[in-house]
Amino acid sequence: MTAETAPAPTDTPGAFIRQRRMSLGDPLLGWGVRILSWLAFLAIVVMLLDTALHSIKLLEHTSLWDFVTGTAWQPASLVYGALPFIYGTVVTSTIALLIAVPLALGAALLVNEYLPSRAATPVAYGIELLAAVPSVVYGFWGVIVLVPALRVLEEAVAGSPAGQFPLFSGPVPGPSYFAAGVILAIMILPIVTSVARDAMRATPRLQREGALALGATHWETIRHVVLPFARGGIFAGVILGLSRAIGETIAVLFVIGNQPQINASIFAPGYSLPSVIASEFAEANQPFHPEALIGLGVVLFVLSFAVNLLARGVVGRFEAHAGGADVR
Amino acid sequence: MLLLCLAAGAIALLPLVLVLFYLLSEGLKAWSPAFLVSPPGGGVTTKGGGALNAIVGTLEMTGLGLAIAAPLGLAVALYVAEYREGRMAVVVRTAVDLVAGIPSIVIGLFVYSIVVVTMGHFSGYAGAIALSLIMLPIIARTSEEMFKIVPRQLREGTMALAMPRWRAIVSVYIPTVATGIVTGIVLAVSRAIGETAPLLFTALGSSFVVTDMNRPMSALPLYMFQNALNIGFPAAVQRAWAAALTLVAIVLLFNVLGRWLASRMLLKGR
Repeated sequence: MTAETAPAPTDTPGAFIRQRRMSLGDPLLGWGVRILSWLAFLAIVVMLLDTALHSIKLLEHTSLWDFVTGTAWQPASLVYGALPFIYGTVVTSTIALLIAVPLALGAALLVNEYLPSRAATPVAYGIELLAAVPSVVYGFWGVIVLVPALRVLEEAVAGSPAGQFPLFSGPVPGPSYFAAGVILAIMILPIVTSVARDAMRATPRLQREGALALGATHWETIRHVVLPFARGGIFAGVILGLSRAIGETIAVLFVIGNQPQINASIFAPGYSLPSVIASEFAEANQPFHPEALIGLGVVLFVLSFAVNLLARGVVGRFEAHAGGADVR
Repeated sequence: MLLLCLAAGAIALLPLVLVLFYLLSEGLKAWSPAFLVSPPGGGVTTKGGGALNAIVGTLEMTGLGLAIAAPLGLAVALYVAEYREGRMAVVVRTAVDLVAGIPSIVIGLFVYSIVVVTMGHFSGYAGAIALSLIMLPIIARTSEEMFKIVPRQLREGTMALAMPRWRAIVSVYIPTVATGIVTGIVLAVSRAIGETAPLLFTALGSSFVVTDMNRPMSALPLYMFQNALNIGFPAAVQRAWAAALTLVAIVLLFNVLGRWLASRMLLKGR
């Protein structure tokens, strides 16, 4: 910085170089940036390792295989099996995707293809606002409004012939995998919609006009030009939604019923990986109970890491093809 | 097909309408300005009582979290976008991206196992660190995108003037994209303010108005969560609705602010 205040004669090229070399600012900012970045990196690595080390203590008590495939979770008798939670996470995320993906696609098409922009903007904005509502608000609203409303539907289905299938059988206590899936669907709808919209919008104009010029109707253009073109991006959006659904904690905790069991019926109460950690960790005082919960956290981490890896691969390929719609 | 899409759009908007309706109708009944400035009353059965403890906690923890995350995020963005030091930059970026994909409850576990265990007790500091981990990837990512869109002519201009790199970054690039960086920060804050899961076993919560960050602290989402769990008690449910309304209002405010900044950025960029 001191070099800047004393301007060197600048009539020769060498003077520039001399001036740059004397500048204190460059090493200062350069090393500042480097050190802070490495610090952030180091903190992340240390935390990952430290958490892993904490959970490894569980292996003195339960083998990895027994932990991951164990169907019973009874901290009072020191039995720790993760399967009910893994099952709950998988089932609720699947329900969420089954509900959210068609809705998101429909909403994305509506906003991008059908509505005039004056009507499209508020609809798009409204859907994006869904993402701004904190999950604790969804959970509370879910338990007060959604669960009683869904219960009526669940009773109707369980009472109808469809109730003969174990998947839809009663009894119907209210909080359930299904209720959790619906809440998750609401929460991931915005991200899936916005990524799908970006992907559809990236369709080259020429292809679209070409299809119309060949006599295709609007729907045929969508079906044969827009959707195939946007396929990769839509898939990326779905994966991003899935990764949100897997990790969602508080909203699920309110509506899933918090029963560590595996039940074939989606109307039965269950538990999910994040929600059991949230509700038991602060009061875990049995031997190996905290370690088992951190172990569940590691399982959750691995699961969401795998999904994110998949998303990154798909998004990377999609970006390479479509020239980069923003998928964040 | 139009009809199907219309139906999908209507169903997609339904939850928003319902959530807002209940927030306003139930929340306004329970909310009063006094809610913001009075300390919490007694137990779950006592009526009334405010969220001053939670508001103080949210302000302190989000503030400190931001003070940690903003410089780190900006540094990571500069490191990746401007300094581009080969493999190391990729590694740092991947690690930060990895944090973005980690469920927030697992972030809470991380901070617990390193900060809380080391300190020996729950604290506002641990909560702030957890929130900073939520904000860091958002800030790093948006700032990085911003540095990427600095126009080439500007870059060439700084070179033609033989500006040292630090000078170009500090006096040209950062002012050019400042709005974008601030947008990223605002969005990060709006995300962090609503987070409950990472605070559960870091800040833990407290029913006292605590300003010392070395002690367990409450925060608005945490306050709402703990009241909402006592769903059988009308007084607690009232407080939960009031907290929900406050929380959503704050988060929406930040969100709208972020969008407004972002749209200004776009206007300036074109």
